[in-house]
Amino acid sequence: MEYHLLPFDFTRIAGQEVLVNEFGDMFVAPMGTVDKIVNRTLEKDDVYKSLVANFFISEQQVPATLDIAAARLREKKSFLDDFTALHIFVVTLQCNQNCVYCQASSRKEDSVHCTMSEETMARSVELMFRSPAPVLTMEFQGGEPSLHPELIRLGIEKAEELNKSEGRVMRYVLCTNCVHLTDEMLDICKQYGVMISTSLDGPEFLHNSNRGKTDSYQKVIAGIAKAREVLGVDMVSPLQTTSVRALQYPIEIVDEYVDLGFKGIFLRALNPYGLATYNQDWDKYVDDFVVFYKKAFEHILDINKRGTFFMEEFAVIVLRKMLTPFCTGFVDLQSPAGIINSVLVYNYDGYVYASDESRMLAENGDFTFRIGNVNDKYEDIVYGPKVQRIAQLWANETLAGCSDCALRNYCGADPVRNYSTQGDPYGHRPTSMLCKKNKAIIEYLITLLIERKEEVLPIFKRWLL
Amino acid sequence: MNITVDRKIYSDICISKTVYALSKDICCQRHINDDIETIEVESQSDTLTDDMTVKLFWQTLNDYKNREIIATETKEIRILLYAKAFADCDTFDENID
Repeated sequence: MEYHLLPFDFTRIAGQEVLVNEFGDMFVAPMGTVDKIVNRTLEKDDVYKSLVANFFISEQQVPATLDIAAARLREKKSFLDDFTALHIFVVTLQCNQNCVYCQASSRKEDSVHCTMSEETMARSVELMFRSPAPVLTMEFQGGEPSLHPELIRLGIEKAEELNKSEGRVMRYVLCTNCVHLTDEMLDICKQYGVMISTSLDGPEFLHNSNRGKTDSYQKVIAGIAKAREVLGVDMVSPLQTTSVRALQYPIEIVDEYVDLGFKGIFLRALNPYGLATYNQDWDKYVDDFVVFYKKAFEHILDINKRGTFFMEEFAVIVLRKMLTPFCTGFVDLQSPAGIINSVLVYNYDGYVYASDESRMLAENGDFTFRIGNVNDKYEDIVYGPKVQRIAQLWANETLAGCSDCALRNYCGADPVRNYSTQGDPYGHRPTSMLCKKNKAIIEYLITLLIERKEEVLPIFKRWLL
Repeated sequence: MNITVDRKIYSDICISKTVYALSKDICCQRHINDDIETIEVESQSDTLTDDMTVKLFWQTLNDYKNREIIATETKEIRILLYAKAFADCDTFDENID
């Protein structure tokens, strides 16, 4: 049969061939379809018509829908249009908790020389405004940033002042454990519409065990309630981190979030720094995490089927890439990578890093992804030789193991994670635990869409509204 | 265990990508003699028998062969697609040789 191939890749999932075109549209076909497409032995049946309609093959050399396809591809990469939108300010490393999996190299509450100076905060805000993004998110992290409300106020007021002439849309996020949410801190949040991103690991026994405290859970719950009362329920969102112990409690963790009235949970794996404290190998943790994720996800589906709206937020990001024409702002699943393109980190000591994980490397004495100082010129930081070298490794369209992967549209590139886990920013996909985890979850979601479409698709569509 | 591959049918890129993709579970040593390549394969996984290893190798190799055909045949339309998507220009010559 006479037709022309269009660019696509393929894999096998749940006994089917899954074809994915250049802008992420997925087509599930019987086994052997790719051979038939390539060898021109397709019958002119419904599969053939669907392949033509969905930009996998074309009856013309240059398909009539090429302009539409180009617009779709551009939309999928539109997160690049505005450059860095998320700006993380590491206010201090001081912390009032003692989390077993601490990923941020936090220090005791009375530690010195680990808090941002006023000059560094002011200069960091000026640098943030050099980014052309029309929407700027200023995220305060630590340690525990709420220990320094005066610095947060200074940063926001400086941003508000500069924004009088800049006219950007400003968003503020405070990443806090909610243990020390004072009236002063909440006044700032109320005044400037600061959203609270907090951390809740699940039920009381698990949360307290992870925090190395006996009363952390009660304080966090009280802090969340106080913040909700002052700021509004939807202004507080928690993040879950799956410690090694948490792997045994997928149902209990989800139920805790539902009982507290949250509309979703981000089932988040430990990063290498968190895992390092357990002295456990990645391979086993990732295998166990995927089992944990699937059990929790099945429970979430059951909750939705019983009439309660409740999302798994990592799945929502992947499903948005898979089932809609739009891109997402989630920095960990982008290609080109989210580092620098979507996020910059201003550290308490005045140095600028490519991502949150980059500054964690630096706390362990590795400055590979330190890209400048707040006193450097903006252009020298984000277009400098170090970033140019990183840029050669940040697109999965060009990386061995990713470029031929059918799932690359739903995944992302992460040279920092490659470096921190494999000692090489290019990475080795066959042994990459990040690749293994992402692939397992994406394949699981596709399996659900193949085998239980009528059951799960209405739920997924509600999540994507 | 040896697998013999005709390099007139499977390109060096296809074979290299196959060896790379399987490198977590299968150790490969490549011996090239003109158009014939002999690959010594040894499973590094407890769950991969010899038969499974051979089947996996050929399936992966054939997948890369298909991918190579798709990439070769679509090279120009892919360039046009990316140019239309990202170049600041509205007029392109759509005549593909």
